[in-house]
Amino acid sequence: MKVKQWILNAIVGLGALCALPTMGWAAVEPEAEGAWGLFASFPRDVSVDGWRIDWLIEVTMVFVVILFVVMCVWMFWACFFHNEDHEAEYDHGDAHHHVVTALVLSAVIFFIMDGNLLVNSIVDLDEVFWNFELAEKIEGAPRPECGAENSPTDGTCAVRLEVNARQWAWQARYAGLDGEFNTPDDVEVLNDLVVPAGSPVIVQLAATDVIHAFYLPNLRAKMDAVPGMINRLWFRARDEVRGDYEIGCAQHCGTHHYKMRGKLSIVSQEDFKAWIGEASRTASQGYDVNDVNNHWGWSWARGGKG
Amino acid sequence: MSDATHGAQSHGSDEIYQHLQPIHPDPDSFIRKWIFSTDHKVIAKQFLWAGFTFLFFGGMLAMMIRWQWAYPGEAVPSFLGGVFLEDTGGVIGPATYNTIFTMHGLIMIFWAITPLMIGAFGNLCIPLMIGARDMAFPTLNMLSFWTFFASGIMIFASFMVELGSAAAGWTTYPPLSTNIGTPGFGQTLVVMAIFTTGSATLMGAVNYIATVIRLRAPGMGWMQMPLTVWGMWLTAILNLLFVPVLAAGAALLLMDRSFGTTFFIAGANGNGDPILFQHLFWIFGHPEVYILILPVWGFIGDFIPFFSRKPAYWYKGSVYAMILVTVLSAVVYGHHMFWTGMNPLLGQSFMLLTLVISVPAEMLFLNWLHTMWKGSIRLTVPMLFALGTVFVFGLGGLTGIFLGTISTDIYLHDTMFVVGHFHLTMAAAAFLGTFGAIYFWFPKMFGKKMNVSLGKYHFWISVVTITVVFCGQMAAGYAGQQRRLWDPFQYTFLAHLADLNRWTTYFGFALGLGQVLFVVNWFKSIFAGEKADENPWELGTLDWTHASSPPVHHNFDVIPRVYTGPHEFANPEVKRLLGRDWLGQAEQLPTDAAAGTGDAPMADSTGDA
Repeated sequence: MKVKQWILNAIVGLGALCALPTMGWAAVEPEAEGAWGLFASFPRDVSVDGWRIDWLIEVTMVFVVILFVVMCVWMFWACFFHNEDHEAEYDHGDAHHHVVTALVLSAVIFFIMDGNLLVNSIVDLDEVFWNFELAEKIEGAPRPECGAENSPTDGTCAVRLEVNARQWAWQARYAGLDGEFNTPDDVEVLNDLVVPAGSPVIVQLAATDVIHAFYLPNLRAKMDAVPGMINRLWFRARDEVRGDYEIGCAQHCGTHHYKMRGKLSIVSQEDFKAWIGEASRTASQGYDVNDVNNHWGWSWARGGKG
Repeated sequence: MSDATHGAQSHGSDEIYQHLQPIHPDPDSFIRKWIFSTDHKVIAKQFLWAGFTFLFFGGMLAMMIRWQWAYPGEAVPSFLGGVFLEDTGGVIGPATYNTIFTMHGLIMIFWAITPLMIGAFGNLCIPLMIGARDMAFPTLNMLSFWTFFASGIMIFASFMVELGSAAAGWTTYPPLSTNIGTPGFGQTLVVMAIFTTGSATLMGAVNYIATVIRLRAPGMGWMQMPLTVWGMWLTAILNLLFVPVLAAGAALLLMDRSFGTTFFIAGANGNGDPILFQHLFWIFGHPEVYILILPVWGFIGDFIPFFSRKPAYWYKGSVYAMILVTVLSAVVYGHHMFWTGMNPLLGQSFMLLTLVISVPAEMLFLNWLHTMWKGSIRLTVPMLFALGTVFVFGLGGLTGIFLGTISTDIYLHDTMFVVGHFHLTMAAAAFLGTFGAIYFWFPKMFGKKMNVSLGKYHFWISVVTITVVFCGQMAAGYAGQQRRLWDPFQYTFLAHLADLNRWTTYFGFALGLGQVLFVVNWFKSIFAGEKADENPWELGTLDWTHASSPPVHHNFDVIPRVYTGPHEFANPEVKRLLGRDWLGQAEQLPTDAAAGTGDAPMADSTGDA
């Protein structure tokens, strides 16, 4: 797998070098929003792994541009030079060498462009985007310093979030200090999520009424929230990032779909620890057994679908 | 009909073909001739007029969407705001906006492109190009149009009822499309209309398939059929297989809406499965994308050799590629559902299958380009439209691979990038391809020529603006803008895209206004066009060589015998003997004819008894 990937990447790199001047090269590093040229630029990427998506899109864009330019030049050249003054060649194009050429050309384009997409996509999904084991133990081994199992208080462990989408708001629930969902110290927020920089955040998603899609443009994360199902995704903000980013709804969900907008605050690990501790204690004090509407959480589903 | 130089020699055994399709007398009453007609040419025109009506209507809705993205919440100027949004003084509210984009999508797909491309040109071309006197089932053909007409009435009616028409998106995903999200009767009417027009499509599909299999002229084997006929035939097969799946989904959805079932309702309101509907929808929905492009591939596969005056490059390769796409189109639908919680293994299988489609697509492109190469290209209006189609379809096809790949689709899914991509393939390519067909067959349909200058202006304005509009949408999606937002600039990360959206809108308006050129040309040509002769393009297919312009009721006085393929151009032997660069499909070179009938260049391989 590794060798194949390197060969592919070498071919890709050569292609990219040839076409660099033809396109704006949005960098892997975070950059300011606002500029748009021939192609608009991505929103600022504040995630650890979003570059994989951006890189794959950009590299494929180079291939696409090259193929499209070749096609156009070919077409215009023929229209210009093989016009009605040019005598047409009597050729059905079905001789053996024609067929082989066409098939080989199609195969080469397929193996380079689509092969690159396929291999990198599968590698990225297996290594990161669908790798929930990695999200749970980011260094490959459980850490004793995380404290109680599932505890969200230590920033080096994964933060667990339950998000319930409804028309037209994002309800979210943290497990609180006890690390268990659906207990009195759960922290509930509406449209206003807080996550620590550098820690993996695992989200389990559900919906009450219609289908929504949880969309974090700056973290390159997206997942449908479907009534009757628990879907999951995970993301990780860069260590050095702080600030407020937007949560959007990406699936048409009714009249005020456009307003289903939330805020995701990325804070330092210390600030997160302080915030969750305080919020969890306040939640326990204000817990009302009879307020059934607020007890929408579920016990953390280990096998939530990815 | 055919003059003597065509030299179609009648086989003794061909008598049976004349008897199997006897000539019926022309209908004498006005109603049987023009309204409840069973003549495929009249039905084609009926579909054409109906399609134009809905194209105009769907286009106006598109203009309103574009206005909203340029000036969110501001009153729509012109009659659009004044007449259709009288209550709000021209302002599009969020609920109305949802109705507008939903109905724009549904009307364009089911009531504009489908009747124009498949209803009109499938009906017109298939019998004329394969040498049949009519469709296999003329009465069913008539029923197909009138069923379609009834569904169109339901669409217009849905705008009149309380709470307005459908608003759950063209994909009609439940639970939003159930009473939970869209309680009005308008949504029910629209789902009923989809079911009804699906029945109409099915009647057409059965007819097209049977006609191509049974009614090809003697000598016309599968590999002598024009690519247009191949495109229409494969489209009909996809329609026959997959429209019933959509109809099943629509029927279950109607039960959820009207009879209290919960097939698709889950969460707080039921224990059904919303994703089941998505499976049913996309099992149909992805083939539908190819249903709307295969006929266009047929058109350009024919127009490019026709106007390059050169045989189609690797004709069989194009046919195989189209068949391969038809087969693959049935097994890739899952890429619409990567983020619904699909099993990762299933997702990766769908990704691989989706990417494989690029192989036959590349074969088609290479064949078109090779056909042009070393040709003698005539940039007629249909040829320009065919090349424009290749251009926009190239853009649309190439941008599809980003969406068929799971990891890049994380970011691009449900953004305007998707909207731009599928408009380039389904809208721009279908639009330009169909207009090419209109310019191409207009002389045959009406016996008149269309104005060439107006046609060329229409082409250049359309191709430039349509490309900019949909590339503008892709750029907005590249920057993260979601689909279907009443006011995208509520999001601060999208606020800087206001200029981009506004410029896209200006080009959209230019595209809309540019169509006036076509409307003027159309009416001018029908009423005052120069008379067209039988074969103005100098081509060899049966519709041009053996049918008058317009054709008589029974198309062919004598059903011709076919000897050669549809793109026999630049043959030096033909040039020497006949002094022209094309050979009719039902024509034999004088020396061959003198030598006898036994050695026709192509073997008789029809499936006819």
